[in-house]
Amino acid sequence: MSRLSYIGARLVKTVLITIAVILLSFFLIRLAPGDTATVMAGQAGFADEAFMKSLRAEYGLDQPVPVQLWKYVQAVAQGDLGNSFVRRQPVLDVILERLPNTVLLNAFALLVAIAGGVLLGMIAARRPGSVGDASVTVLSMLFYAMPQFWLGMMAMLVFSVWLSWLPPFGIETMGADYTGLARIGDIAVHMILPGVTLALYFMASYARLTRTAMIEVADQDFVKTARAKGISEGQVARRHILRNALIPLITFAGLQAAILVGGSVLVENVFSWPGIGTLAYEAVTTRDNPLLLGIFIVTAILVSLFNLVTDIAYSIADPRVELGR
Amino acid sequence: MDFDRRAMLGAAAAGMLARPAWAQKPGTTARMRTINAMMTDEPAHLNYPLFNTRIMQEICGNINESLLLFDWQFKPKPNLARGHEMSPDGMRYTFHLRPDVAWHDGAPFTARDVAFSCGVMLPQLNPRSRGAFSHVREIKAVDRYTVRFEMKEPFNAFLLSLMASSAPMMPAHIYEGTNFRTNPYNFKPVGTGPFKFNRWARGQYIHLTRNEKYWRPDQPGMDGIYYRVCPTPEQRLVAMESGAVDLAMADDIDTVVNKRMVANPNVVARSDAFNGTGEICVMEMNHRRWPFSDRRFRAAYMHAINREFLVKAINFGLGKVAHSPIPSDLPYYDDKALTKYHYDPARARALLDEMGLKPGKGGVRHRFGIMMIPDGGGYWTRMAHYIKQALSEVGLEASLESTDWPTFSRRSGNWEFDVDCNSYGQYGDPAIGTARFFLSSNIRKGVPQTNIQGYNNPEVDSLFAKAAVAVDAAEAQAHYSRLQQVLTHDVAMLWMFERKPMFFYNKRLKNVIMGPNGPADGFGSVRLA
Amino acid sequence: MKDFLRVFLSRPIPLIGLVIFAAIVAVALLAPFVFARGPFTIVGMPLLPPGAPGLLVGSDVLGRDMAVGLAYGARISLLVGITSTLCAVGIGVLLGAVAGYYGGWLDDLLMRVTEFFQIIPSFVLLMVLVAFLQPSLSSTVIGIALVTWPQVARVVRGEFLSLRGREFVQAARTLGMGDARIIFTQVLPNALPPIIVVSSMMVGTAILTESALSFLGLGDPNLLSWGSMIGGSRSAMWVAWWTTVMPGLAIMITVLALNFIGDGLNDALNPRRRR
Repeated sequence: MSRLSYIGARLVKTVLITIAVILLSFFLIRLAPGDTATVMAGQAGFADEAFMKSLRAEYGLDQPVPVQLWKYVQAVAQGDLGNSFVRRQPVLDVILERLPNTVLLNAFALLVAIAGGVLLGMIAARRPGSVGDASVTVLSMLFYAMPQFWLGMMAMLVFSVWLSWLPPFGIETMGADYTGLARIGDIAVHMILPGVTLALYFMASYARLTRTAMIEVADQDFVKTARAKGISEGQVARRHILRNALIPLITFAGLQAAILVGGSVLVENVFSWPGIGTLAYEAVTTRDNPLLLGIFIVTAILVSLFNLVTDIAYSIADPRVELGR
Repeated sequence: MDFDRRAMLGAAAAGMLARPAWAQKPGTTARMRTINAMMTDEPAHLNYPLFNTRIMQEICGNINESLLLFDWQFKPKPNLARGHEMSPDGMRYTFHLRPDVAWHDGAPFTARDVAFSCGVMLPQLNPRSRGAFSHVREIKAVDRYTVRFEMKEPFNAFLLSLMASSAPMMPAHIYEGTNFRTNPYNFKPVGTGPFKFNRWARGQYIHLTRNEKYWRPDQPGMDGIYYRVCPTPEQRLVAMESGAVDLAMADDIDTVVNKRMVANPNVVARSDAFNGTGEICVMEMNHRRWPFSDRRFRAAYMHAINREFLVKAINFGLGKVAHSPIPSDLPYYDDKALTKYHYDPARARALLDEMGLKPGKGGVRHRFGIMMIPDGGGYWTRMAHYIKQALSEVGLEASLESTDWPTFSRRSGNWEFDVDCNSYGQYGDPAIGTARFFLSSNIRKGVPQTNIQGYNNPEVDSLFAKAAVAVDAAEAQAHYSRLQQVLTHDVAMLWMFERKPMFFYNKRLKNVIMGPNGPADGFGSVRLA
Repeated sequence: MKDFLRVFLSRPIPLIGLVIFAAIVAVALLAPFVFARGPFTIVGMPLLPPGAPGLLVGSDVLGRDMAVGLAYGARISLLVGITSTLCAVGIGVLLGAVAGYYGGWLDDLLMRVTEFFQIIPSFVLLMVLVAFLQPSLSSTVIGIALVTWPQVARVVRGEFLSLRGREFVQAARTLGMGDARIIFTQVLPNALPPIIVVSSMMVGTAILTESALSFLGLGDPNLLSWGSMIGGSRSAMWVAWWTTVMPGLAIMITVLALNFIGDGLNDALNPRRRR
């Protein structure tokens, strides 16, 4: 299959899955006790029958469910995710406002995780069974066993409360109103604690993956050939072993995209990071159903696209792999 | 261990010595002349009367002003009204407006705005105003700057009902004839106050900027106010201690760390900033259901709870035990009229025995639910945890029910609960803040913060009615004394404690709290110390 | 079996895991007998540090003995971890087996469903489920099971897919065995090792998930779990470190022990992956 037609097919699949997500979340949210009007009336602190009726009419809740669903799907197809009940703003605007913050944090975390994981994995794979190997294994098991939110709180306790090295909360210094480079630096400093907290959890898995893959690949024929040709050990490790070990890593990164978005609810909450995770939490606790639906849809699309990108990256890293199964 | 000591000292010293780099403030004058405040969560909009909560009062108090202000003794002072008169029979109030006041968009503030606010918008949107203005027969704009209120009956709390937190003036030229709930100006409010709305960065902050054309020539003393979203309690504490924010109000700082804040040399701590609210934390019971309908059960419930402990350990000494529906430091409180329910588990058990609620399997006499306030693990949650434990000692098994605000409002408004936690403010006069929880006329299904208990006592109804219209102060006192006697004997509500929320501000500021309404009167007077 | 035990017990890591886990189970089982008054009992002033008279790990924001809370918390963590995993494994094995054994459109459908779960943020989905069902112990268990079963289903399906063509299955078919019988008596026992390994890891993950929910205030308010102990102490964290450090350590040790055991199981049951 050519790369282009493969991408086309995958895009179609993404659309289909998005429709499935819309349908399922639409019905899921209808399971909640009390209809949306009572929820909204609760928020307004006022709920006589006339008001409820006008609310139901305003949001089309007085129509049959299939009609509501059809209207919603139509609107989504045109890029309209409806209005947030609580914020009375278009859902898409609310999400797009927060999305860059989450993408920034997760991209940073993913980078740290992969870089750190590959490094640790390589150290461990150098001499399997050595002290270095064992300590990498123990460390990764430790990080794997910690609740992520707790790890964040502990990092905050040590690096903010105790040592006063890093800012504990938010995305930038409150009220500093930095601009230009100073602002970028400020955001970068704020990103360290939440970013590394997110990364440590995944770093553990990357380290283990890299280690296994490198040991496996090192035994294979093409590496032996390379060695026989007299290429230096360092070059072998870099050019042949690492490159091949990257493949499972990329697959894994693709699988974790959804976890990264979902997992950041906790880390964003602990560090008050104004991203999609805190937004989702707010949407749940304020019962802002259109916003919740919107978050599901937007993240589903993002994750699908991310998976597509990793698939393509996969084919570049390993030309032997053909796209499409 | 060095660990916790450092944490304790670190913050106290933060301002003077080792302020970490990220907490350092750029020393620009622009920054110096800006007030930084916090929001625990963002309001949905900035239409003040539509959702009159504390955070709205703190923000919109700077934007929308009231006709009158009140001093520490609750005596009226001029504000948008430069003077007022009451007819001797209390049937007519005349207000003379300042002629030099303009809305933030330049339109003049006139009698039409007052008539619209008090006659249409406030009674429609704000439950407290609805009650208070129901005594008004007609509002007349006599001329451009004179308004006359003709009363149906003399209502002695009328002036107090014009307090800034209850009756902010809203612009008629923007709201009249529109849907108040969807008006686009709900997101860019227009008022007459010392600060005007500038920008709302969702999820981050709301920024107000100084009103250059403010009618008080010497105000505002500062250039602007940022209200920054700080959703977690740890974050708010750090923000306050590091000096990143200047004000911490009411629920911003968890009572757990109160002592530490009070000890902070950079911070001024005030416990009188919310006197005007006169808040009482209570538990409400659904009187439609047995055994909550039985007075003995409610009395037993009160005897089972050590409210001294509640104040001391759960609220860390802030406030005192509430023995009456009226806060003890506000007018009309009458200690002699009260039936008090001291901590006495034996008495509680005896009362339950008398009702026939004998211990069953596992010592349990009765099971019911307590609907919790969603406060993210703050003192409300701690209070519920303690009460569950205290009740279990007398054989009552309460199961705690988590909620979120929409669920809380829905269930309490629709009477789908056994017992809930709540609080109410008196707002100057029992007729304004307190009566609405006990009047049978205010049993309104679907509407939270009404008489959701279903308490129905004709004597109480008539006493409240008579007290509100009594022209003679002694007569009003007599009615309110009798009311306290009846309500406490009935255990008409489970009064827990009078809450004294703290207000903290950085000592670089002064003139922050100027009256019992605290932040709700706005920050026009605030200056650099 | 003998072989399995020999391999499993020959390495120190799974052994350590087993010992720690046994100790935690013992604490969980004994808690109601040792601390009969329950974890909500207030024993003194709030925020007393560890080592204060009678308080091994200090008191919390309400003046409750944190040691009692930690002991009772073990019950919640284990209960949620084990029951939710059992539920998820039950659903996952059933659906995965059917899909892998029959293939075709059933298999397709299952794969789409598991893909759906990979694409939407599962923790957000879980929050929604628990909040809508009202936070309680059962809603936590149901929620966790509902978002984790696809993992099991994928593993089981893969095993069934590779096993269904084997000779012993063919033989069973020619003997006239029904499908259900083949699935449960022939294929499933052969697919068990990877299922066991996956489930042992899932218990740990479920414990972590439960703590996260409780931390956010979406746990059962009538129970004191490790996660809710941390969540309820957030505002005290800066003045009383033990209120957040101790419950977190408890979670970490428990999950670590489970992962150690899982690691040992993996080695013992999966000779291919032993290294």
